[in-house]
Amino acid sequence: MKISHFAGMALFALLVSVGFAGLGRRTTGARVRQVAWSFLLFMAAAILLAWLLYPLSR
Amino acid sequence: MDDATKAIEPSQTSQTARRSSLLNAGLIALCAWIVPGLGHLLLRRWGRALAFFISVVGLTIFGWTIGGIAFSPHSEDAFGTLGFLADAGIGALYFPARFLASAGAGVPGAAGDYGTRLLAAAGLINILAMIDAYRAACHRVENSQ
Repeated sequence: MKISHFAGMALFALLVSVGFAGLGRRTTGARVRQVAWSFLLFMAAAILLAWLLYPLSR
Repeated sequence: MDDATKAIEPSQTSQTARRSSLLNAGLIALCAWIVPGLGHLLLRRWGRALAFFISVVGLTIFGWTIGGIAFSPHSEDAFGTLGFLADAGIGALYFPARFLASAGAGVPGAAGDYGTRLLAAAGLINILAMIDAYRAACHRVENSQ
């Protein structure tokens, strides 16, 4: 299966966020919010790190 | 029946019931390890069961499809042993993961490496789910007494 690094990272972030939400929250609404928030933080951290490391790749 | 026997009997009964309930909690943890989400399903925690099933099975399938391999139990270095412990957390899914890897699913390079990490992540999340199921089952025992 061919998948881009970005798509792979996004899928990983989503699946791990679902697992974390299962551990942390009790109600469905709180779980959905936790998935969204955790997913956004994963993606933001990855993009920030990518930009910080960008000069090293050149 | 003398007074001493009467005094001991209820406490023995409650101890036996507690032991049996803890055994059930252990069985629930075992079920949670073998099939992701099953422990919470048995506790009628539908939302958590679904979340763990989607997360662990999704990560495992995604890990396989991009060429990840599950570590062997007979590893030569500490990293391999730790990798096996993480992979073993997937439960029953570990065996098809090993079988597919031996059939040539392992892909060298970045994608295969990511796949291997995804399998380990799935195992670690399932271990956390198993601990959560055990804790929830014990909590239920304490509340029922």
